[in-house]
Amino acid sequence: MERSSTVEWRATAVTSSRELDDFESVVRLHWLRIFRFALASLRDRHAAETLAQDCFFRAYRARDRFRGEASVSTWLMQIAVNLVRDHVRDRRLQFWKRARQTAVDVTAAASWIPATGASPETAALIKEQVQAVWDATGSLSERQRTVFLLRFVEDMDVLEIAAATGLKEGTVKIHLFRALHAVRERIGKAK
Amino acid sequence: MIEHLSAEQVSQCMIGQRPLELQQHVAGCAQCRAELAQLESALSQFRSAMREPANLAPPPAWRQPEPRPAPWFSWPRPVLTATALLVLAAVPVTWRARSHEQALREQAAQVADSQLLESVDSEISQAVPVPMEPLVTLATWNSSSTEQNQKAQRQ
Repeated sequence: MERSSTVEWRATAVTSSRELDDFESVVRLHWLRIFRFALASLRDRHAAETLAQDCFFRAYRARDRFRGEASVSTWLMQIAVNLVRDHVRDRRLQFWKRARQTAVDVTAAASWIPATGASPETAALIKEQVQAVWDATGSLSERQRTVFLLRFVEDMDVLEIAAATGLKEGTVKIHLFRALHAVRERIGKAK
Repeated sequence: MIEHLSAEQVSQCMIGQRPLELQQHVAGCAQCRAELAQLESALSQFRSAMREPANLAPPPAWRQPEPRPAPWFSWPRPVLTATALLVLAAVPVTWRARSHEQALREQAAQVADSQLLESVDSEISQAVPVPMEPLVTLATWNSSSTEQNQKAQRQ
């Protein structure tokens, strides 16, 4: 699997609390990652934007309490994970109502894959695969989905996921295994 | 030698944990290799799809949130003490005022209740309905005038 963004992740991980002094830069540097995680978790663009903004507001207010024990990236992801959890648990009904109006169009999302000169058959197969993984993640529990997205969209390793979610390493692995099993089954059905 | 990778072993491979035994098996088993390649491809395409639409939402201009009012427990000690004393002094006064108001309200409610009951009682105790009251008056007047006539005749 492509691991180029792991380098990006490690680079941003080498930070300290001084990084928080210039909060505008923090937002610029980490916005995409937080927004992307929120979008993939909630599947609602408006809700994801609101959640990402809320995440940075909370981080800004709590920046004095940041001890630098984890990287700023992991710390922000912790906040985002908690916000997603709260959002899913407390506002499930409202979320689904809004999700119907502004949900991400997976067909469009699949078509945004950079053109690689693939044949129409290959392009159709890719869309089918993306659809299958998307459907599978939709059927996962909130925790399994979070762990899966952090691993396979954000390229975080098991230890980083454990730090961001507050779960034990073994628990993260169990959630990953279950999520992967569900994805494999869905891909198998899509074939 | 393992026959084919179990679901758990596939997952292990996907999160980058490939012990030597698994590596050797994958190297020699076309079926497992194909299965891993397919899963890796699907996850890679999914990752690309998830990253592309997100690029369409640039970070918003950062505006510092309004500073929150200082929490009460961070006030200077003299201010805290004075506030506490004021609150303590205000409690009995407020309580008395409230209890007096409440007593008045209860009294008014009792009066209204008793008035209502009285009016109900009086309606129930009436011998005849209200529309027939003139007849009763007439009958009473007739009977009283007859008695007066009889008295006058006796005298």
